[in-house]
Amino acid sequence: MRKLFFLLLAILLLCSHNLYVKMETYFLQPNQEAILSLYNGTFEQSENIITRDRMLDASLIAQGKRTAIHTSQWKDQDSTITQLAFNTSEAGTYVVGVATKARNIELSAEKFNDYLEHDGVLDMLEQRTNDSLLDQDAVESYEKHIKAIYQVGDIKTNDWGTVLGYPIEFVPRANPYEKYSGEKLEIQLLLHSEPLSNQLVFADYIKGSHSHAHENHSHEHEHDGEKHSHNHANSDSEHSHSHESHGEETHTHTSGQQLRTNDQGIIMVDLPEDGIYYLRTIHMTRVTDSDELTHQSKWATLTFEVSHKHGADTHTHDHEHDHEHSLPTWVFVLGSLLLIGLLFLIFRKKN
Amino acid sequence: MHLRLRQVLLLFVLFVPLLGLAHDVTSADQEILRNGGLWAYIRVGATHMLTGYDHLLFLTGVIFFLKGFKDILMFITVFTIGHCITLIGATYTGITANEHLVDAVIALSVLYKGFENLGGFEKLKVKSPNLLLMVGLFGLIHGFGLSTRLQSFDMGEEQFLAKILCFNLGVEVGQILALIPIVFIITLSRKHKQFPAFYQAVNWYLVLAGIGLFAYQMYGYFTGH
Repeated sequence: MRKLFFLLLAILLLCSHNLYVKMETYFLQPNQEAILSLYNGTFEQSENIITRDRMLDASLIAQGKRTAIHTSQWKDQDSTITQLAFNTSEAGTYVVGVATKARNIELSAEKFNDYLEHDGVLDMLEQRTNDSLLDQDAVESYEKHIKAIYQVGDIKTNDWGTVLGYPIEFVPRANPYEKYSGEKLEIQLLLHSEPLSNQLVFADYIKGSHSHAHENHSHEHEHDGEKHSHNHANSDSEHSHSHESHGEETHTHTSGQQLRTNDQGIIMVDLPEDGIYYLRTIHMTRVTDSDELTHQSKWATLTFEVSHKHGADTHTHDHEHDHEHSLPTWVFVLGSLLLIGLLFLIFRKKN
Repeated sequence: MHLRLRQVLLLFVLFVPLLGLAHDVTSADQEILRNGGLWAYIRVGATHMLTGYDHLLFLTGVIFFLKGFKDILMFITVFTIGHCITLIGATYTGITANEHLVDAVIALSVLYKGFENLGGFEKLKVKSPNLLLMVGLFGLIHGFGLSTRLQSFDMGEEQFLAKILCFNLGVEVGQILALIPIVFIITLSRKHKQFPAFYQAVNWYLVLAGIGLFAYQMYGYFTGH
């Protein structure tokens, strides 16, 4: 019954909030057909497509070159997921980035406070609390700038460190594909290409294609035709909520690792296990010089996958590293036949 | 004999890099498994068998040793039962081991078969072990190798047993598809007057391939590649 309730609730959640570049796996082969999806909702479930007019930029960075992804290349799988089918091309570490235009959203004070709390914009919530502004409604301008880093084949290239020049973006300080589970990865957060210090960042991961379940309690609000819903996990480690407003936005958050950037805008992300890691942050400021806006926010996410190191004491499960660099099957067959042929000639001569 | 050994060693050095190509299984398989349901497990199982040269080389060695179709059927059945036991059992219970080590043992089975076919035990004046027993034993080991490979995929939790069985079914399909040309070629070659040279060539190849695969897997084990 509870599951049915949550299912019905999920149906009610028509829109989404966080935006991620999601792939089934971030380890790909050269010249492979692959698909990347824009997940607009939670990392586990997309609630809405991204209409092309919202896309400010979509770029692929490989072999030192930045290529624009034309809006016509994106296809909507259904009404929830926008996808890009592409050929992986040659081996290397690739970066894909998508930036959306700013949009405005009006929220009642209660809804706004709720969203700040549940999406982890805690600094702004604290500021509103300290300034006794919790009863003030908000008109927020928001924009999203997302990136993913994926690995094709075994050759590691330096594109992982490319700064796309988005208003806000995560830039790793090392190639995530030269890091392994059990290690840590330094990631810098840039705001207008400058390090952003003292900013809350949430980092979490899913194991492979499995998503974390969130089923404990849920609630939904509706104000002035706008719904605002939350689903909370029973897990200590993670929970999420969705927030619908203006018919297109849903908030989600997960506790995961709650990190704060240092003076250089750097966070140290733990990579405890193999999995797909996703980072997110919302940088929000108060707007004082506008008649229309009260707040402005810039959202950033980064996704990548981490595998384990292959050594004597580990299972070597990762086929990309074990096998994908292999030559084609026909080379083995041809080589074997050649060897047998040569041996045959030797033995025929001897016999 | 010295000349023969020298020539064989030279060929070994020239061709050993090719031996690292066994198991052409990639993350593309993972994609297929994630998106393709149970059919995908059959497909990947068959692909794995058809590109899992170590399994095929061992079977080639077994078939070379046998003459009648009845014998072939019996030995292949024993091998199949052996690998089904460990493939299903180990995967279902989550028993796994380092892939390099398992593949190294499988490589030794290839070496063993070539060595036995070349009369290695007779030359050493040692009684060769019961072949049916050894084929059954190696069947268990090959099945464990298949299991470790299957477990390296993200299989999810739904229809877990069905997925294993489908993968196993795929392996059997792949095995049958691979055996048809192998049996055909070997049967045909027996009628040829150059069969002794062909027999020696293929079995020396099995010995070299076994050594090469073993070295490759141990290298992988110690260097983490």
